[in-house]
Amino acid sequence: MEEEVRANCEHILSQTSTCVSDSGPCRQALSLARSLIINPSTSETTISSIFETLARFLQPNHNPLSIHHTLSLLSDLAVQRPLLSHQIFNTVRSLALCKDNPTRTVTDALSVLVSIAEPDQTLIPSINELSEGLYVSLCFRPCASVRHWLLLNAKRFCIPPHLLLTLLLGFTKDPYPYVRRVALDGLVGLCNSIVVEDRALIEGCYWRAVELLTDMEDYVRFAAVRAVSEWGRLLVASIQDKSKRDLSDTLFVQLCSMVRDMSVGVRVEAFDALGKIGMVSEDILSQALSKKVLASTKGKIYPGHCSIKQCSTKQFEIPASSAAGAFVHGLEDEFYEVRRSACYSLRMLAILCPEVAGEALNLLMDMLNDDSIVVRLTALETMHHMAIFDCLKVQETHMLMFLGTLVDSSAFVRSVARRILRSTKLYNLAIFKLSVDGLLESLEMYQQDEGDIFSVLFNIGRSHGNFAVSIIKEVSGEIEPSCEGKLGSDSARVVALLVLAISAPLSHEQRICSIPPRIFSYAVTLLGRISCALSDVMNQNTLLAYLSHCSRSTVISAAEFNFKEEEPFLPVTEGGIPNNSGFEIISPAGMQLQKISDGASGIHSQRTWRLKKVPTPLVDYQLEDHEEVSKFVKLILSKIKDIWHLMQNGYTAEVLKMLRSWKEGLITFTTDSSADALVFMLQYLRVVKLLAKVWVHLISRRKLQSYGMGELGLVSGKLDRILREMRYRFIGFSKEEELHILELTLLNCILRLSSIKACWDRTSLKKLYSTVSRIEFLHEEGSSEPSNFVIEVKKSLFEIGASTDGASDSPILFRKLIEFFSLQKFVFCGNLKHVKAELDVHDNDYENPFPFISGLPVGIPLEISLYNISSESRLWLRMTVYEELTEFVFLDLDQFGGCDKIRKFTFVAPFYKSPKANSFTLKVCMGMECLSEDVHSFKGCAGPKHELTYLCKEKELYFSAVIKK
Amino acid sequence: MVIECLVLGAGQEVGKSCVVVSINGKRIMFDCGMHMGYLDHRRYPDFSLISKSGDFDNALTCIVITHFHLDHIGALPYFTEVCGYRGPIYMTYPTKALAPLMLEDYRKVMVDRRGEQEQFSYENIVDCMKKVTAVDLKQTVQVDKDLQIRAYYAGHVLGAAMFYAKVGDAAIVYTGDYNMTPDRHLGAAQIDRLHLDLLITESTYATTVRDSKYAREREFLKAVHKCVGGGGKVLIPTFALGRAQELCILLDDYWERMNLKVPIYFSAGLTIQANMYYKMLISWTSQKVKDTYATRNAFDFKNVCSFDRSLINAPGPCVLFATPGMISGGFSLEVFKQWAPSEMNLVTLPGYCVAGTIGHKLMSGKPTKIDLDEGTQIDVRCQIHQLSFSPHTDAKGIMDLVKFLSPKNVILVHGEKPKMASLKGRIQSELGIQCYDPANKDIVCISSTHYVKADASAKFIQSSLNPNFRFLNRSLEGSSVLGHVDTTAMSPLQVCDDRVAEGILIMEKNHKAKVLHQDELLDMLREQKHEVKYAYCCPVQFGKFERTENTGLLSTRDVLPISDKCSLLHLLFVKVSNELTEGSIQEFGEHLQLQSFRASVCLKDNCPYRSTDSSHNISEAVYFCCTWSLADEKLAWKVVAIMKSLDANAM
Repeated sequence: MEEEVRANCEHILSQTSTCVSDSGPCRQALSLARSLIINPSTSETTISSIFETLARFLQPNHNPLSIHHTLSLLSDLAVQRPLLSHQIFNTVRSLALCKDNPTRTVTDALSVLVSIAEPDQTLIPSINELSEGLYVSLCFRPCASVRHWLLLNAKRFCIPPHLLLTLLLGFTKDPYPYVRRVALDGLVGLCNSIVVEDRALIEGCYWRAVELLTDMEDYVRFAAVRAVSEWGRLLVASIQDKSKRDLSDTLFVQLCSMVRDMSVGVRVEAFDALGKIGMVSEDILSQALSKKVLASTKGKIYPGHCSIKQCSTKQFEIPASSAAGAFVHGLEDEFYEVRRSACYSLRMLAILCPEVAGEALNLLMDMLNDDSIVVRLTALETMHHMAIFDCLKVQETHMLMFLGTLVDSSAFVRSVARRILRSTKLYNLAIFKLSVDGLLESLEMYQQDEGDIFSVLFNIGRSHGNFAVSIIKEVSGEIEPSCEGKLGSDSARVVALLVLAISAPLSHEQRICSIPPRIFSYAVTLLGRISCALSDVMNQNTLLAYLSHCSRSTVISAAEFNFKEEEPFLPVTEGGIPNNSGFEIISPAGMQLQKISDGASGIHSQRTWRLKKVPTPLVDYQLEDHEEVSKFVKLILSKIKDIWHLMQNGYTAEVLKMLRSWKEGLITFTTDSSADALVFMLQYLRVVKLLAKVWVHLISRRKLQSYGMGELGLVSGKLDRILREMRYRFIGFSKEEELHILELTLLNCILRLSSIKACWDRTSLKKLYSTVSRIEFLHEEGSSEPSNFVIEVKKSLFEIGASTDGASDSPILFRKLIEFFSLQKFVFCGNLKHVKAELDVHDNDYENPFPFISGLPVGIPLEISLYNISSESRLWLRMTVYEELTEFVFLDLDQFGGCDKIRKFTFVAPFYKSPKANSFTLKVCMGMECLSEDVHSFKGCAGPKHELTYLCKEKELYFSAVIKK
Repeated sequence: MVIECLVLGAGQEVGKSCVVVSINGKRIMFDCGMHMGYLDHRRYPDFSLISKSGDFDNALTCIVITHFHLDHIGALPYFTEVCGYRGPIYMTYPTKALAPLMLEDYRKVMVDRRGEQEQFSYENIVDCMKKVTAVDLKQTVQVDKDLQIRAYYAGHVLGAAMFYAKVGDAAIVYTGDYNMTPDRHLGAAQIDRLHLDLLITESTYATTVRDSKYAREREFLKAVHKCVGGGGKVLIPTFALGRAQELCILLDDYWERMNLKVPIYFSAGLTIQANMYYKMLISWTSQKVKDTYATRNAFDFKNVCSFDRSLINAPGPCVLFATPGMISGGFSLEVFKQWAPSEMNLVTLPGYCVAGTIGHKLMSGKPTKIDLDEGTQIDVRCQIHQLSFSPHTDAKGIMDLVKFLSPKNVILVHGEKPKMASLKGRIQSELGIQCYDPANKDIVCISSTHYVKADASAKFIQSSLNPNFRFLNRSLEGSSVLGHVDTTAMSPLQVCDDRVAEGILIMEKNHKAKVLHQDELLDMLREQKHEVKYAYCCPVQFGKFERTENTGLLSTRDVLPISDKCSLLHLLFVKVSNELTEGSIQEFGEHLQLQSFRASVCLKDNCPYRSTDSSHNISEAVYFCCTWSLADEKLAWKVVAIMKSLDANAM
């Protein structure tokens, strides 16, 4: 069969090649050849004979069309038979790249050459050698479609960036709109991938793109908006003097002028671009939120574009008023894509200018009424974002709109709405009441949300204790059992009110509980239901202890209880929906109830007493199962690698969910023997969580552009703190463990250096150096091989050291380094000891303050217990009244007895500068110097030389002036 | 070429839109509306201005109607059936479908209710509609050989369109009424960027800048929700087309999101029929309606049921849409009478009510009693909510559209005079576009684009095809001014591509224009290349030493032996090349040369290039004739200066 086809093919081919040498091979022969080529079982001899025949057709005197077909066949051949690829490459290069050939033929040939060379590293040099000159000369030939193709594929040729940039910039002037678009797209691509230092060049690109904002074609304008955005930001970033802000405003106004374009794509792009701007003046932004021209922007003019021919006219200035109402228009756009993008871009801007956040909120509130779920969600997310950055000031007028989302038919919308409510400060009782009513109404309609609603109620009750109390007073009739003694507990509403009631005493505003104690005993009967909802705040045992305490005593201090978020290492899952599946404590509520009925008072008084003595988890109903812990830890660690893969592929939500469930699992273990390891693991999970959050930004690289401000900075700050705690608050590291942590520290340094403003660089860079040297030392000591990431970091540190002015201009270099990082499996030995301290003061609370004489020193008797602290450690007591009034007292460990493992002693700490006031609150905390960290001077007082890591919770002490009777 | 624009209606007023535009011999009538405020001859446009003889068929090429509102279409049956126009008429499909309903409704009201003499009959309307050609959006219609028109989406009402018309190279857009922001059921106006000589735009809200529509929607929903929440009944009197559908979509959506179960009723009649049209004409509605169409037709209202008179006094809350809009009579009045006395109920009023209607009475202050007619008094205790939705664009929208289209001229119609004047001022000062606000019966003439066709030489075409950009660096001319707000920023680096500028337009003998490449010009003209040269005959004072050496040879001044010429030249060469710092001068036997500068011994007595004002002893000097071209001017003067100063050196 093969032979037959081959003979047939060759016959036709030979006929055509001998008889009519001009016309080239006929279609039939070519299709026969193709079928032979793509059949993998065709023999080598046939293939090589076909190749030879085809090569003959590449002679320049052949018909260009037939050369085109021949070339495409050869390209297929190269793909099918990699062995032949070099030969094909050489043939095509020698025959088809002749300069006299038609432009298209040469381009076809070039395309074949590049596609052959792409998978084959060895051919790259020869491609580079021939492509540069040829590429440019082809670009300047008349054929526009070839030009289009070449510019589109510019990345495949190794054109030196400066040359490519010049070409692309030049071709933005091309009369063919498609070429203009490709040129602009190319410029955008280059802007992100190379470093342009020539300011004039950046300006050239920027202004050229600005000129094209008025192009006749939609798609050119579309590309121009992106180019203006990218190059504009580059330009703004390149300027350091005071004109930076003006330029950024210019860019903003320029983009605002595009939001009324008739093309949807252009509008979306314009809003996306607006959301990326990192700096804008307040008046310009408020102008963008108002359609009426404001007095503050009237007459303000920014430079618009100006080409050579029209350089004198005023017309090319762009007035600030052209930003008028940009967001109003965007938010009422016909297309949801535009509305969503406008909502999204408000997020960044509202944070940049908290002054206009209120105005933005007014607009956003209306979006909650939008018909598209996507838009409603984006608007809510933006509000949530604003709440996190503390610029969400909800007014009473907004409440109707906002509460509407609590009863929205979409579960997503409801959940985000509740999340916002959690993190919002409610300014007065009316708003608080409206919110509670809204939640109760939502509870009536959507019973499936019960858990989350309870949790939100508990949350807002805690943060607004006074309001909660006054509400409870109003509705206490509902909560009280009816005259028959039956508690209306089956009604969700009553349970919700109970949750609100029990939250109030935990508020900082409420030292003395004004909720009737019996309400707490009602709540005890609903323990299961409530604790299920509050599982992200406390476990059932804590809750029970808390409730029983409250039902007897009216003096409550939240600090007594082990609420999870009070511990530094166990935060409230950030706005998450509580996950009550899986690792719930196995202790039936019935057992609890029985215990209470048995002899509640005795047990509970004992328990609360123990509470004060031992602040580690309250009471353990659980088996102390050391093995189970280590099993679980091992399981988690073995999954870390998978987590890493998920993270890299952008499944952040899933990763966070998984981490959360593990965390919840870990928390349920309350063993004494492996408590330290448990604490460490929880910290480690936090680190992984934060990494996941960082990685989202790295994957979508455009978000990384938001310099300085924004989430990345925050997250990396958190990461820094936790990593430091992990390093210094544990002792007994194995070498692998320490290396792992150091590597993470290294990554964090590089993250900071790669994205955050230059002013932070010095400290981060220093830290980077010290970390690297520590890693080197450990590797040398243990004669182990450093990871790829460490090697690369060392390499580039060497490069930076060689360059003159340090790392200030090499964020891109650092960004590349990040790619080398991969999260290795953590080998955890579990022999760690947690370094911690406890501070206790007897007989001091709000009602029972220590006396003092204003202006004179006071002594504070502190009960101190130290665990696992070596005598070399330098411990400090930090005492703060407010930021300026902070004193440090050094604790000389040699004065006190005890061993490293545990020390208990009483210490009278002097506080010298008592303020001139009748009473004050003093916050005392104990910290340990991180000796290998950088010198960090605490301003204006004698204190530690190095950064501190704090070993315990801050303790509040109350003082009141001695009044002469 | 001139575009002539005759305003027959809606000039400095709102009502009876009608503009006749003549472009390159074609005459198009845009809209043919009636004025609702007049009952005399002012009701219709003055058609006699189009043609005194009444021969409209020859006077007009076609009529274009933008939408079905009576102030845009009301006079059409009169014009076609009574005045006898038989030419083509164009409008969009929905307009064609809905216009007869509107016209018939109007005719009925006028004739049946008010007992007026009818201007046109039902048959007239039907016949008129038969002459109409329906067009689709963005469909280019070739009216005749030269004239083409195209419709663009305008928002405003269902089927409203802006029309683009082009004759030859001249092009205009007539907007009709349009809305630049979408509402719940219609989209925003949408048009391409076109090269326009003229834009005729409405200017109803020439000075208003409207706030976000959301605030208005919110108020409305809040009022309605509060009322039904309290168990009250809501009466929404509306016009059957447009607003009713918009409000209904708004409510239907809200109901669904808030899970409300209160019934919404539509009173029977025109509204039901209109809803049917809306359901069919989905492609003319907003993006949202189109998007959801696949799953659910937005006009299939979920919570809406039809109303029945028995339900008027049924217990429990409800929402009712009823016609007519201004409670001027009919069903809405009937319901109003029943519901007005209860404080729990709510009546919403449209933004505008004609004086004399109950709506108007309710709007002007809150009356407690309304006299319906003698003997009937309604006790009004219900709440009143006034809607202020408008389907017209605001001033900002007009400015945005004008800015986007950037036409050469703008004519404002359909607005109030003082407001139009203010907008006109803004368009001229802010956008730099010539703007007019003609009154009725005014004629505005503007010049139009006319392209001249020209041949192009092969060489010119070839050179145009090749990219030929270059970069100009302006930074040499001044420091960078970027970032300073007070100066016009300009990039120091600019791209330019002057392919067309390299061509030369010539007019051939046969009066045909042709573009040549600049290199071809001389061939074409059969001329030599001329070059401007500068010449100066420079006296050079050689020192005495040299003179004496040469005296013997100077027999006459006229004939210098060649060897002498050469030696003088050589002498000059040696001296000059010693002095000259830039470039190296070269000796070529007869002359010295540096770039285009040449110097040779001048033997003429009266050389025209010799300057005579020299204070030197002329007899002492030897003259050298110097020539150079413009490019080397500076250099040449430097050399001349050196030659002149040689004297001093030698001494």
